[in-house]
Formats: sequence, C-alpha cells, structure tokens
Amino acid sequence: MNSKMIKRHSKVTIFMHWFNAFCWFFLLATGLGLIKNEDLQLMGGWWSKLMYSIFGSGETLLLFHEICGLTWLAVFIVYMIFGSGKYVIPFLKQVFTYSPATDLKWLIKKNIQMTLGNKWLKRLGFTPDIPDQGFYNVGQKLFAVASILGGIVIAVTGLIMFLSNILLNNTALVQWAIVIHFIAAGVVTGGLLVHIYMAAISPDERPAFFSMFTGSVPEDYAEHHHKLWYDEIKAAERKA
Amino acid sequence: MMKTQLAMVIDSSSCIDCKGCMTACKVENNVASGHWRNWIKQHDPDFYNQGLQGDASATHFQPGNCMHCDNPTCVQACPTSATYKNENDGTVKVNEKLCIGCGSCIPACPYEARYRRPDEKIVDKCDFCESRRQRGDLPACVTTCPTKARTFGDLKDPDSDVARLLKGNNLVRVVNRETDTQPNIYYLSMTAPIDWPVKAETPTAIQLWKVINPFVWGFVGLNALGVLVMLGKQLLIKDEPLEVEHK
Repeated sequence: MNSKMIKRHSKVTIFMHWFNAFCWFFLLATGLGLIKNEDLQLMGGWWSKLMYSIFGSGETLLLFHEICGLTWLAVFIVYMIFGSGKYVIPFLKQVFTYSPATDLKWLIKKNIQMTLGNKWLKRLGFTPDIPDQGFYNVGQKLFAVASILGGIVIAVTGLIMFLSNILLNNTALVQWAIVIHFIAAGVVTGGLLVHIYMAAISPDERPAFFSMFTGSVPEDYAEHHHKLWYDEIKAAERKA
Repeated sequence: MMKTQLAMVIDSSSCIDCKGCMTACKVENNVASGHWRNWIKQHDPDFYNQGLQGDASATHFQPGNCMHCDNPTCVQACPTSATYKNENDGTVKVNEKLCIGCGSCIPACPYEARYRRPDEKIVDKCDFCESRRQRGDLPACVTTCPTKARTFGDLKDPDSDVARLLKGNNLVRVVNRETDTQPNIYYLSMTAPIDWPVKAETPTAIQLWKVINPFVWGFVGLNALGVLVMLGKQLLIKDEPLEVEHK
C-alpha cells in the first residue's frame, strides 16, 4: 500500500466537513432533547432528562441549540458566498451528476457486496465488475444530495422557529416548521449512520477517512475506488 | 399525584357580571389590550327547552379562567413542555423562556384560556396570580369579587375552603363532552352552561407528528440495520476477493 499520495481535499473542505459534523451531532442531541413532550419524543423521556441535566434547564438547552444552529447557518452562508467558485459549485456539479444505468448497477452490486459478500454476488448471477466511479461514488452522491436538501429544509424551518417569537405571527406555519424540521433531521440521520459506517468503520474506505484529516489518498486507493477521477488526474498530469 | 392542587370553587349564581375580576386580572397581570386571562360567560334564558341544569328561565353569569386541568390537553400539545403541569402546586404553567410561540396549545385548550402576547409573541394565560401568591395574597379576581363568587385554595388540604366546599356541596366541572380535560375549577351545580360547547383541538401538524414518529424510527432503524448487517459481514465473513478488481 506504499504508493504515492494524491491530493483529494482542501483544508477548507476538511474544516467544513468537521465543522458540519460537530454541529450535526450537537444539534441532533440537543434538538432531540428539546422534545420534552413524551407523546412526541422519539427516544423516550430519558433523552430529554439527560439533556436537561447536562444543560441545567430547558431554556439553556434551547439557547445552545439556537446559537449552534445559527452559527452553523452563518458559516455555511459565508462558505457558499466566498467559496462558491472554488468549492461549492464544483461540489454541487459532482453530486448532482448521475448516469442512471451504471449508477443503478453500482448501487445494487455494491449493496450486495457490502452486506452479503462477493460470494453471493456471484451466486446471485451478477458479473463481478462494479462500474467505475468518479470523485464521489453514487452512494456518496446520494447522501450528499440528501444532506444538502435536508440541510436547506432544516435551516429554513429552524429560522422560522427562531423568528416565531421575534417577528412571525403565523402560528400554523411555525407548527408545520417544527414537524418538518424533525422529519428532515430524521431522514438525514438515517443516511448519516451509513455514512459513518462506510467512512470510519468499513475497512474498504479507511484511506478516505484518513484523507478527511490529511487531505490526500494513496494512488492505488484512488485507482480502485474512484477510477474515473484517477484517470482524469493522470491525464492532466500527462498533459502538464 | 400532586401533593398540592390549587383550585377554585365558583358559585356562579352569585355573579352579577360586574367584570370586577376581569378588570382586576388585567391590571394585576398587564394583560395586553384585546386579550383577557379570565372571563364571564353569559347564559341567556331558554324558555322553550326545559330540563336544562340550572335555572333555564334566568340569565346566568359564569365566571371562569384557566382551569389548571388534571388532563391538560394544552400540555399534551406543547412540543417542548414549555407548558407543563407544575408538580409543586398543581397549576398549569408556562415557561416563557422555553416557549417559542408556536401556538399549538391555544386551540388545544377548550376554554380558550390562552392567547399569544402581541409584543413578546409567546403564550400567556392565568397562573392563579403566582406573584400575589408568593407574597401570601389571593389571586386578584378572588380578592376583588364583591359577591365572593370565587373561592380559592388547595384541594388536597382537607381544611381549605375549596376542600370543604367540595365535600359539602353538589359541585360540577364544566367540561366538553368529547374532550374532558378534568378541570380544577368547580362550580356549584346551579350553573350554566354545563356542557362546554368548545372542543379541545390539537393542531394538525402536532397530530401528524404523533403519526409520523414510527416512520422516522423505521427509516433510521432500517439504516441502522443495514449498517449492522455490513458490520456483521465485515467481522464474521471472510470474503473472497472479486476476480475482476483492477482493470
């Protein structure tokens, strides 16, 4: 595995990733804690009690949730304004570009491979080739799209709730915002579980996990997991 | 169960509709213009349908305010429990710092005891004059009432006036038949109306939340299951390599 390293992530990307991750965990934990009403609490009453005892009271919990949420939003707005050309638009192009036929093939085969193993892939009659992937694979792209759309919904509904007792007078809007905020967070959290497993626990993607700290991946990893991206880089190198 | 349950017993037949309780409350609690924390309902005589409880042939005035119910539908509608049943005195309280003014509790109260403050945009209602009670006074409406229609005290204390009235008299709770919130304001049985016309309504969004919870659990759970299967496969199954891996 002692191959040359290729640059994959900029320092800004790495910062935004871990900033987003930290905010997500904090907001998820405190947000769930705020649902003190046990008829509505997904985790059962113990989670709210735990959060209340950590933060001292419901109002402190709410305050921290609001501060963290607004900071998260502010940082992302700054990122989207100043990083639009360099980071945001290229990223959006990557994750919103699909080629349905090979993507579907990849999704089916990769899911079988990850859950049942290569033996079953053969037994179920699939050919062992798995479509080559670009900078992101289809799974990563789909999770990226889910977290972008989920993030927008969460930000908008969160702002509505924050402004509810500042300038809004439409209580039905706020009530729907609470429920939609909750559902969107749930959907992204589902994807987040898979994301964490793939990146941090699964041995296949270990180099990608380290690249979220160092910024680079070994060449052979890139060639194996992101062949199309690897080829592009090699072609660019040859040109230079 | 509550150790203390503050409550009121109201003899509505002695109410003369002077609006003294409403005025005193408004002044005491700085209630915003156009809103009230308490009320006097007027029941007009019905000469055609006899058999109503109370004197159907006379106009009747029924004072009321937040009933600090034992089955508080407002508390059940509040997502954050900013509205809660206070275990110390049995009142239904609002934590103003936790309330974001979503208004879910407002239609959830059949008595329409709640309103959204126009300036702070958070919910407000009767708190049995907490600040007055802290200095040992009775609620403003009780003190003001010239005919002493309102009696206030701890229902769980057998020596209190309300407990004595509860024991010695035929008292009723004025409730909506479909949504009985088990209020802690009792009326002498000669009161009208006896059937409260307004139902407790939980907002659609909050009702939907209860329905959607299992689906959110299901979705997150399915993802978790997928992860567990992958983890199990990673730890337990020695996989053979794919034949065509590097092209």
